[in-house]
Amino acid sequence: ISCTMAGEEDFFLEEKRFKQYCEEFIKHSQQIGDGWEWRTSKDLGDGYLSKTHFQVRNRNIPPDLKEKNDNIEQMLFTRVEESLDDSQVAGVCATEEVIRYEYHVLYSSSYQVPVLYFRACFLDGRPLTLDEIWKSVHACYQARLLEGPWDTITQQEHPLLGQPFFVLHPCRTNEFMSSILTGSWKQNRHTNYIILWLSIVGPVVGLNLPLSYAKLGPEQNTNNDSV
Amino acid sequence: MTDDKDVLRDVWFGRIPTCFTLYQDEITEREAEPYYLLLPRISYLTLVTDKVKKHFQKVMRQEEVSEIWFEYEGTPLKWHYPIGLLFDLHASNTALPWSITVHFKNFPEKDLLHCHSKDVIEAHFMACIKEADALKHKSQVINEMQKKDHKQLWMGLQNDKFEQFWAINRKLMEYPPEDSGFRYIPFRIYQATTERPFIQKLFRPIASGGQLHTLGDLLKDVCPSAISPEDGEQKTQVMIHGIEPMLETPIQWLSEHMSYPDNFLHISIIPRPTD
Repeated sequence: ISCTMAGEEDFFLEEKRFKQYCEEFIKHSQQIGDGWEWRTSKDLGDGYLSKTHFQVRNRNIPPDLKEKNDNIEQMLFTRVEESLDDSQVAGVCATEEVIRYEYHVLYSSSYQVPVLYFRACFLDGRPLTLDEIWKSVHACYQARLLEGPWDTITQQEHPLLGQPFFVLHPCRTNEFMSSILTGSWKQNRHTNYIILWLSIVGPVVGLNLPLSYAKLGPEQNTNNDSV
Repeated sequence: MTDDKDVLRDVWFGRIPTCFTLYQDEITEREAEPYYLLLPRISYLTLVTDKVKKHFQKVMRQEEVSEIWFEYEGTPLKWHYPIGLLFDLHASNTALPWSITVHFKNFPEKDLLHCHSKDVIEAHFMACIKEADALKHKSQVINEMQKKDHKQLWMGLQNDKFEQFWAINRKLMEYPPEDSGFRYIPFRIYQATTERPFIQKLFRPIASGGQLHTLGDLLKDVCPSAISPEDGEQKTQVMIHGIEPMLETPIQWLSEHMSYPDNFLHISIIPRPTD
């Protein structure tokens, strides 16, 4: 296993900074109605980002689509991210399945990085298995996952809720974040670590960030203007 | 006077006499006798209960059997917690043998992680060791090791081989000569009464002035309710491996000698028995 350390303390995200970046993130989410909220644990005041959304999955693949397109993603998922309410969801046709995804972003003091926890279940409450989760990973990440599934997504206990969640392993986060951050700082751009990190790891598990997050800068934060 | 190395052996070879009983609603072809087993405190339920599974499957039909899970007095037991921790947390002040109920149906998806193979246990065990080393050594020691060393840690645990395990683990217990201890102490504090499963925070073993922090210092910092005496009387016990270490014990020493094989100190805060 290789987990090369940057060596510089700069690239480690301090908990205080984590909270600041999350605050900025939530503000923008609220402006564009992206559905993220900040939750705190009752006793010690630890907090985390949380978002729930629904995805529709096609169970039957139309034959012409199979021929035209060997894109695995279309065979597995039609990503329809909407805030469906319960009545709309029930009206979805029988060959489609609705899956409820819940994403949490927590802070790991051991690795000093954010960690993405998520869980998914069908509307009847049946949770997706690890296998189903692996199969639903975006096509371009599948190869990496197949190399070492145990290194990437596994089921773990949520450290604040005590319930089973799936987790994207944090020990490699510093590797890819270091190179991106160096570039960004050289250009003197305000960088929100959380937005940068989530835009990289989120898509692996079906979580996409609208592009407007990328436009966040310090001046927008203080003026509170809508983007 | 006990040698420090003896402590390592005592921790490794600790056992809990346990009685496994099949849940009454499980459908059997004939009566299921209870099964008795000495469980290693330092291991994991799903790693050491193959014989239990075989014993009960003998009286059940194939179609009635799916993933095994364990429960104590209505509480599903988290297989990914070391056995000694589960016992200290839930049953330490009750009569032996520990009575565990075995289930093969209605897996509690909201409470327990799945454990479909030994690979899952190994992955979990190694993830804990890596996290502990991230805290102790910024992951330097674990990353310098070869894959075969990692495998040896797991095989040592799986096959109950103290020497094999410690041949590698001793490297994870070292620190640079210029330091007096680890960077941070890997620990988790558990209380059965909270929603939060455990408390884990950054904690240095050495104070800025160079003094060794104690177990009492750790608790005061991270979980003060555990040791603040109410009416001058201590309402709780602080338990590790079935004993209450003195609060004056240096936390560095505890980390080196009383960690579980995953390199974490798993500490239980439980109600003190009233008699």
